[in-house]
Amino acid sequence: MAWRVGVDSGGTFTDVCLFDDASGRVEVWKVSSTPDDPSRGIAQGVEEGVGGIGARVADVGYFGHGTTVGTNALIQHRGARTGLITTAGFRDLLEIGRQKRPDLYDLQADKPPVLVARDLRLEVPERVLFDGRIETALDEQAVREAARALREAGVQAVAVCFLYGFVRPEHEAAARRIVAEECPDAFACASHGVAPEFREYERLSTVVVNAYLGPVMQRYIRRLAERLASLGLAVPPHLTQSNGGVIGFEQAGRMPVRTVLSGPSTGVIAAQEVGRMAGIGNLITFDMGGTSTDVALLQDGVCRLASEAVVHGYPIKAPMLDIHTVGAGGGSIAYVDSGGLLKVGPRSAGAYPGPVCYGNGNEEPTVTDANVVLQTLNPTHLLGGRMPVDQALAKRAIGRLAERLGMELMATAQGILAVVTANMARAIRVISVQRGHDPRDYTLAAFGGAGPLHAARLARELDIGRILVPRYPGILCAMGLLLTDLRADFASTRLVTLGHAALEEMSGAFAELTRQAEEWFEAEHIGPAAQRLTRNVDMRYAGQNYEIAVPVPEGPVGPATLDALAEGFARAHERLYGFVAEGEPVQLVTFRVEAAGLVRKAAFRKLAERGADAAAAIVGSREVWLAEAGGFVACPVYDRTRLEAGNRIAGPAIVEQMDATTVVPPGMTARVDTYANLILEAA
Amino acid sequence: MNQLLPVAGKPALDPITVEVIGSALSSITEEMGETLVRASYSTNIKERRDCSTALFNHNGDTLCQAEHIPMHLGSFIGILPHILKRHPAAEMRPGDVFIGNDAYEGGGTHLPDFVLAEPVFVDGEIVAWAVNTAHHADFADRGHAHIYQEGLRIPPIRLYRAGVLQHDVQELILLNCQVPRERLSDLRAQMAANRLGVQRMTALCAKYGRDTVLAAGDALLDYAERKMRAGIAAIPDGTYRFADMFDNPETDESMPVSCAITVAGESMHLEFDAPDQVRAGLNMVYTALLSTVYYAVKTVVDPTVLPNAGLARPLSVAARQGSILNCSHPAAVNGRIAACQRVVDLIHGALAPVVPERVTAASNGAVASATFVGERPDDGSIWVYLETIGGGSGARAGKDGLDGVHVHMTNTSNLPAEALELEYPLTLLRYELVDGSGGAGTHRGGMGLRRVYRAEAPCRVRIDSSRLLSAPWGLAGGLPGGSSAFVYGPGVQPFDHGSGKLEPGQVIEIVTPGAGGYGPPGGRDPEAIRRDLAEKRIDPGTAARVYSFTTH
Repeated sequence: MAWRVGVDSGGTFTDVCLFDDASGRVEVWKVSSTPDDPSRGIAQGVEEGVGGIGARVADVGYFGHGTTVGTNALIQHRGARTGLITTAGFRDLLEIGRQKRPDLYDLQADKPPVLVARDLRLEVPERVLFDGRIETALDEQAVREAARALREAGVQAVAVCFLYGFVRPEHEAAARRIVAEECPDAFACASHGVAPEFREYERLSTVVVNAYLGPVMQRYIRRLAERLASLGLAVPPHLTQSNGGVIGFEQAGRMPVRTVLSGPSTGVIAAQEVGRMAGIGNLITFDMGGTSTDVALLQDGVCRLASEAVVHGYPIKAPMLDIHTVGAGGGSIAYVDSGGLLKVGPRSAGAYPGPVCYGNGNEEPTVTDANVVLQTLNPTHLLGGRMPVDQALAKRAIGRLAERLGMELMATAQGILAVVTANMARAIRVISVQRGHDPRDYTLAAFGGAGPLHAARLARELDIGRILVPRYPGILCAMGLLLTDLRADFASTRLVTLGHAALEEMSGAFAELTRQAEEWFEAEHIGPAAQRLTRNVDMRYAGQNYEIAVPVPEGPVGPATLDALAEGFARAHERLYGFVAEGEPVQLVTFRVEAAGLVRKAAFRKLAERGADAAAAIVGSREVWLAEAGGFVACPVYDRTRLEAGNRIAGPAIVEQMDATTVVPPGMTARVDTYANLILEAA
Repeated sequence: MNQLLPVAGKPALDPITVEVIGSALSSITEEMGETLVRASYSTNIKERRDCSTALFNHNGDTLCQAEHIPMHLGSFIGILPHILKRHPAAEMRPGDVFIGNDAYEGGGTHLPDFVLAEPVFVDGEIVAWAVNTAHHADFADRGHAHIYQEGLRIPPIRLYRAGVLQHDVQELILLNCQVPRERLSDLRAQMAANRLGVQRMTALCAKYGRDTVLAAGDALLDYAERKMRAGIAAIPDGTYRFADMFDNPETDESMPVSCAITVAGESMHLEFDAPDQVRAGLNMVYTALLSTVYYAVKTVVDPTVLPNAGLARPLSVAARQGSILNCSHPAAVNGRIAACQRVVDLIHGALAPVVPERVTAASNGAVASATFVGERPDDGSIWVYLETIGGGSGARAGKDGLDGVHVHMTNTSNLPAEALELEYPLTLLRYELVDGSGGAGTHRGGMGLRRVYRAEAPCRVRIDSSRLLSAPWGLAGGLPGGSSAFVYGPGVQPFDHGSGKLEPGQVIEIVTPGAGGYGPPGGRDPEAIRRDLAEKRIDPGTAARVYSFTTH
């Protein structure tokens, strides 16, 4: 049971990363995604990948998976037909939100489409008051009628959200039960089970997104689990959450809202680890895949974790890494818009039919086709020879575009890259410049199948001086799955005032949360040596709305714990806001236990330096059209697998490997560091 | 980025530096805003975010205003000139913090907006100012015949002197407030926001050099001016007029308001006419008019122009002194924002014939509000809850208006029912869109909101709105949207000019206006009509009568 397997399933490719615990050996495998049923591509990738190294799926000791199924359904509004049952008088809250308009000055801006149509938002008589008293008992007959009406309207999912569902969940629980009886085939969830937190709109939005994604995610997970089981997988598979930690499939199926950033978060975790080894803490991650691109900023090795964020326009209360996504990648389609301007994306040719050069019948040129025409990408085959490409087809498609624009063929191909680079630069400005970080202080970590191909242009646009291309850029997300600790968060909201009277409440809360964590350890087979528990309390001054997380010292809860919390809160408040309100009562709001199961991570070996001469890795040469030269220039082509630590490559040059192609432009030098990363800097 | 090339006579800066510093300024003001909201206590700030933050240069020009509440720009325009008029810059020290709120002497636009301003010193000189304003939900249940009835007038004075709190000043202010504990805590939050602004600005100067930061600030003002001029130049020259009626529960009559906008090349002159100022809180001071015009013109000319002082350079604004749109001491100003909303509509209406695709039909034209005041039975302390309620946003040339949003000069959040009921003896019974309130048209106007409160303890209530006596107009053949209304529950004595009281168990309902439609109803896509019918946004009678649409 030695092999650990990570699978990242994107819109275009499915990447499989295999790591042998015993020998430290790393193997990678890549197959086309199957968007109609991503589990098919995953099963194929696992079977081929595991088979390719002469192992059996039954020998796999850990299976981790990152997916974009949830996020894609949310972006493309392809979730389930969803109904809502809510407190009388509040069905429009989902649409009203916080009554703010989408843009302060742009009056043409629109709100994102509401996920439940008004005629599928049904009100039932019931009312709980702020202190948990029931003013109006739930009209169960009205719930039953509402559920039947939703069933007749053909909904596949039902969300239940009542005012104060987080204080007194009985009404929601009863309604959910009735929905389950009346709509046995529908996915049902209630707000107290998904985000038991204060503020009705954000809670409502979270439970609605969860319902909207539920059927999509469950269908997906079920198929995948079946396929993996039939391949002989003997361990429970895991899925990454938006916070970078992993959970089991069953929980992911119940809580799809926590996985909306599943795919991209693994890339950030992996980049963090690669950066740590390379000694680079300030990184901007640039994860460009076939369909979309994710960017994130790590300051001193840490990506900001938000407890609530607006994802594709919808507020979601769940812990997630601060990642920004753009709907453009290698498969994005280039076209001429009504105003006669060249645009790229967000429409994508996807995995199938894929770019024109794949020869599967698509006739609209993509970013990949532009690269094939410019010969920055290999004009005859990709994926280490497994994917033949037809450059003539790509030329014809871009030629048609060029004709409409009245431009030359090569200038048009070049223009496609310029447009896509500007889109990427804008995304990076959002997470850097707009948050007060100067991108020039950061290193661009380029990965994803298309990241290394476009990184140099992008870095130039942003004036970034250094680029890091990890050893396996095309499958870094999959590798991140093998670098991620198991993680589960347990929380309990109980509003108490800091003081001796709080001791009992606090020790009770932590005892219960610790018990839950221990159950989880057991379920995940995490031995005592690998268990880590950290405890925090969210605290605030009575009257404030936002809490500060204060760590709880180890050991049993006692009077000294209270002193430590008071001291820790005062210091944190002073640091954040510059003042301490002496004598004001302090509240303990939410008790939190974070349980981590430390996994053995893929340990990359440090390589010995072999000198600067990289000539041994040259496998050929090809003419590459370079913007700097305004024409074709003969460039040496290096085989990444033959490069050794210490090697230096002067641009212009092309570095090919199975999962990616790196462009080293004129004026830059790439060196191979001792972890086999390529570091590009000005020559 | 090409628009940011160095300008002759100024230090040559590369466009990336200018852009990075400009974005850093935006991010400083955003971060100041987050700090203010997070450290505050009152629901009006911590939940409803009725506050704004900004940075100014040493000349008092706005460098950057965070995207919070456009109305607050008025306080920002006024405060620094008033500070500098009273206090010589040479006597200022690091850690001095000025507070002010007066509409005539303190740079504010109404008394509840407390402005705090702190100079940023680098190498012993003032290089910038960190400024924020927060709407303190206080000075409630007051008269509005003149400003002396409306609350404590504070000229710009030092709340902190070289970092030391001036207790005497603070005590004087707090004694004049109905909810002093909230005021104190919110003032601390305002202090925290400015302190952060000062730290970040100092660090920015340390990183790039003071002169570079100042030069980048100037370049950003010039850039905003250039974009604004280019946008105005694209509008055909000429004079464009529009007139409307303005009503308010405080007065019994509708007042005519009008504007004439003259576009000449790259500049624009806006002239307003309105009746004499009245003994009611609906008057606005000139800085309020200015911020309204800056907002409205930016939305039409180019929404992407940076919100700094450069955008004002091509504009000139006039209104008769002593009229409700440019009032003089001692006119009351507490409810000025309703008239400001009408000014934005006037500007859109006037420019509609020349830039039809960039304006909207009339939006809800009000900032419907409810203020509840009562005493806590345990200690006799006073509680004040202020809520402003959104409404319809005007239909656009190519699409429907937005339903149930705050428009134009305000953009505060609602107070969640769960926060409202936890803090005040009130229960929210309904909060919903008003069926049928979106003006018919090829593109439908946005729908108004209904918010229904039940009192759980005796309280005094003041309600405000506009468009009670008129309806938000449509454009290009679009029909008007629904009007505003107050509906009193059983046993409630109808309010006198917006003021009244509720006993426990009594209910009041506030209906906000919808918005006007755009284009003739006959041009509406049948699928959209079918959808509106299924969702009960319109009724079958309207569908048949207005849209000639029948279900088969």
